[in-house]
Amino acid sequence: MSDLNETAVEQRTPRPVEAPWHRFLPWGALIVLMLAMLGLQSQLYVGQERTVTTILMFVALAQAWNIIGGFTGYACFGQVVFFGIGGYATAVMMVHLHVSFWLALSLSGVGAAVFGAVIGLPLLRLKGHYFAIATLGVAEGMRELVTNLPRLTGGGAGITVPTVGEDATTAYLGNDGFYLLFLAIAGLAVATALLISRSRFGFALRAIHQDEDAAAAMGINTTRAKVLAFSLSGLLTGLVGATYAFQQVVIFPDRLFDVEITVLMVVMVVIGGSGTVLGPLLGAVGLQFLSEYLRNHYTNAHTFILGAIIIVAVIFLPQGLVNYVREARHSGNFSLLANVRRFRL
Amino acid sequence: MARHWLVTAFLQATVYGLLQGGLLALVAVGFSLVWGVMNVVNLAHGSFVILGAYIGWELNVHAGLDPLLGMFVAAAALFVIGYALQRWLINLVVNAPIFITLLLTFGLSLLFVQGMNIVFSANYRSIQTDYASTSLTFGEVRVPLGRLLAFGIAVLITVALVAVVNRTRTGLAIIATGMDRGAARLMGIRARHVYALTFGLSAALAAIAGTMVGTIGTFNPAAAGGFTLLSFVIAVLGGLGNMYGALLGGLLIGLVEAWAGLYLSGTWMNAMAFLVLVVVLAVRPSGLVGRAYYAARVEV
Amino acid sequence: MSDTPVLETRGLGRRFGGLEAVSDVSFSVPRGEILGVIGPNGAGKSTFINLVTGHVRPSAGSVHVNGVDVTGAKPWKIAKLRVARTFQIVKPFRGMTVRENVAVGVLYGPHRATSMSKALARADEVLADVGLADSTDRAPAELSTADARRLELAKALALDPQLLLLDEVMAGLRYNEIEPSLELLRRLRDQGLTIIVVEHVMKAIREVSDQILVMHQGRVLTSGDPDDVLSDPRVIEAYLGKRYADRQASERDV
Repeated sequence: MSDLNETAVEQRTPRPVEAPWHRFLPWGALIVLMLAMLGLQSQLYVGQERTVTTILMFVALAQAWNIIGGFTGYACFGQVVFFGIGGYATAVMMVHLHVSFWLALSLSGVGAAVFGAVIGLPLLRLKGHYFAIATLGVAEGMRELVTNLPRLTGGGAGITVPTVGEDATTAYLGNDGFYLLFLAIAGLAVATALLISRSRFGFALRAIHQDEDAAAAMGINTTRAKVLAFSLSGLLTGLVGATYAFQQVVIFPDRLFDVEITVLMVVMVVIGGSGTVLGPLLGAVGLQFLSEYLRNHYTNAHTFILGAIIIVAVIFLPQGLVNYVREARHSGNFSLLANVRRFRL
Repeated sequence: MARHWLVTAFLQATVYGLLQGGLLALVAVGFSLVWGVMNVVNLAHGSFVILGAYIGWELNVHAGLDPLLGMFVAAAALFVIGYALQRWLINLVVNAPIFITLLLTFGLSLLFVQGMNIVFSANYRSIQTDYASTSLTFGEVRVPLGRLLAFGIAVLITVALVAVVNRTRTGLAIIATGMDRGAARLMGIRARHVYALTFGLSAALAAIAGTMVGTIGTFNPAAAGGFTLLSFVIAVLGGLGNMYGALLGGLLIGLVEAWAGLYLSGTWMNAMAFLVLVVVLAVRPSGLVGRAYYAARVEV
Repeated sequence: MSDTPVLETRGLGRRFGGLEAVSDVSFSVPRGEILGVIGPNGAGKSTFINLVTGHVRPSAGSVHVNGVDVTGAKPWKIAKLRVARTFQIVKPFRGMTVRENVAVGVLYGPHRATSMSKALARADEVLADVGLADSTDRAPAELSTADARRLELAKALALDPQLLLLDEVMAGLRYNEIEPSLELLRRLRDQGLTIIVVEHVMKAIREVSDQILVMHQGRVLTSGDPDDVLSDPRVIEAYLGKRYADRQASERDV
């Protein structure tokens, strides 16, 4: 295919060498933010607390997807498979093996990471749409698998994590507890993304994204880097899924492997700014608020409006908010129409 | 005695599988065409199918129009909608990274599915005709007329599509633009228009398939997603943009699902389809029939 | 050890479907030489480079770097053996600065730099060597063709190579840009690099090569001293066709 047919790799304004204090600013900001969120908890009503908890959950999910989709450029459309595996592994372990939640949580994360490595090896050889759809196929296939093993997973009727009585190995965390746990996981996800983005590993991922052949020619073991990124992303997503399962108590395959969860993750990252650390954070917060607002005020049409918003956002801000602001400040051109012209036929 | 029953059941399933497969092929062929020509994965494709079914249904219920005629109206309507969508919306992101187009079409699918929910309600519908339920019998195997008709139309239209694309000027323009957009434009082909034509064509084909689907079973807006996913699988199996491949892929999936339905419980059928998809992608991304497409795999 | 050729191929071949892009290519390159590789379009020159650097797997034959069999090895393994290449259509990392582009090679090459700052500093040195000291903070998209080629070369040099494969590095250069490039190549060779230059620009090849290898339809047509090779009637025929070669030959006989 000729050059003219190639789709654009996002041309981001390169950042010049950073001043020393620049390096600590994001970490400081993260710590301040975490403390603020801790303080916020006491100010929230139960309903608000649950909303914020969901936002924290999506912050973690968006950051996780960003590692493989944003940094490395491999858009995984089956990311929810890690969520589901994490959730079901925890539920199954707690129901059948009577392990504590904390042990189940750790093992589920590891399990999701291992799964990522195993399917990553063959699938990460595929590019673009093929990778996206293959991963989607894996997610859907896993959903079917879980549905068809009722003795293990409860099948379509769902599985219930024991939270009361003698079967309950861990006390239910309650609203406050889950707020803190999701906050911790979200913090972990953001910290991981920060670490990666500034490390030599992140450099390799970005090189792979921007030109995989050149990256390989310059000594980067692209297979190892991609699989590592995929596993890491799976690990974080799995942890979220495991916590979600405990929080929901009763889980069903259709919910834990819902493709809409993946789509939400992708939309948050893309709208916020893929390949950045701030982008998925803003995207998750913004979209969740929007989704909640729409759900409460326009119950019937909220999906419809969400769809319209996604379309508008993707057309006018395809590189996402954070990248748009960075580029606009660098070039002085804030025109959104210029954005549209960039990718149009 | 039991063996005789098994053989009949197997034959029946095979016949059903083929008939269903032909229809699935028609569902998928437009999706495959759009993907092959413009590298756009249209996540709203299933909603085009369902919209076609609703149009056929409305015409049947309110105007007494037989779906065999109604499908042309549905096709025309969806052609216009598809053309407009591509020309003035999707063309805006054709050069963007793939997940942008995926998100755009996903947003469209949300719009369409929810729109249909609001307008038509989520109740299951079906298009009733007098003749659809009569069955022809061949030996021990029953063949419902409706399914046979749907199969026949699907195959006819796929063949007609191949003929149109390969022999008309417009068709050649579509193929050329699909192979090398830059070169095609340099030769005077209006790529924006050609893309819009292709998308409109794809939507029209989906609409016809949808009307046929409506005659043989029930549907509602939520069924859209399943059709999109099936179109993925069939398009990949048959090779992108390869229309005979889509036919073969559709037949294969129809058979796999029918046979799986014989021996395994219901939901394993979908799992089978996905397993086939993932294995094919990992081993031979060009699909069963398509020529090798090197850009699909990273050589390194 | 110093007798082992830096690069040796034996019966190297690659087919794509029905097309034998490269067929039965056997030769060796001694240390410290500049080997020019020429041939008409479609001769298999780029595929040949891809085979040596691991971007394409051979269907037949073997590749040896410093005596080590690297047939079928992945590109990053070959890069670690200090074999570097440029791409015919330059492949910069578009979202990184020029300096960062080169730093990737320093970070991941044979002498894995331990810190970003060391890698960036070394990148600056390499860029100064190729004449891009003024452009280190710019985006690759802003560079001129000549500078873009220099960046491509700098990225290869970041790997501290002992063998450098250049794929049409002179293409698109203006007449007065060619000589500085040749100077650079000669300087690199004098520093101990072995260089394989695939080229179409005859003037450049003739002036800088110690030996020339001619490929035609995937095979080696001939090789040897530049002047001999370039006046070989078979080479002329390959490039310009049988009629021209015959006319040349008959003019010489007259």
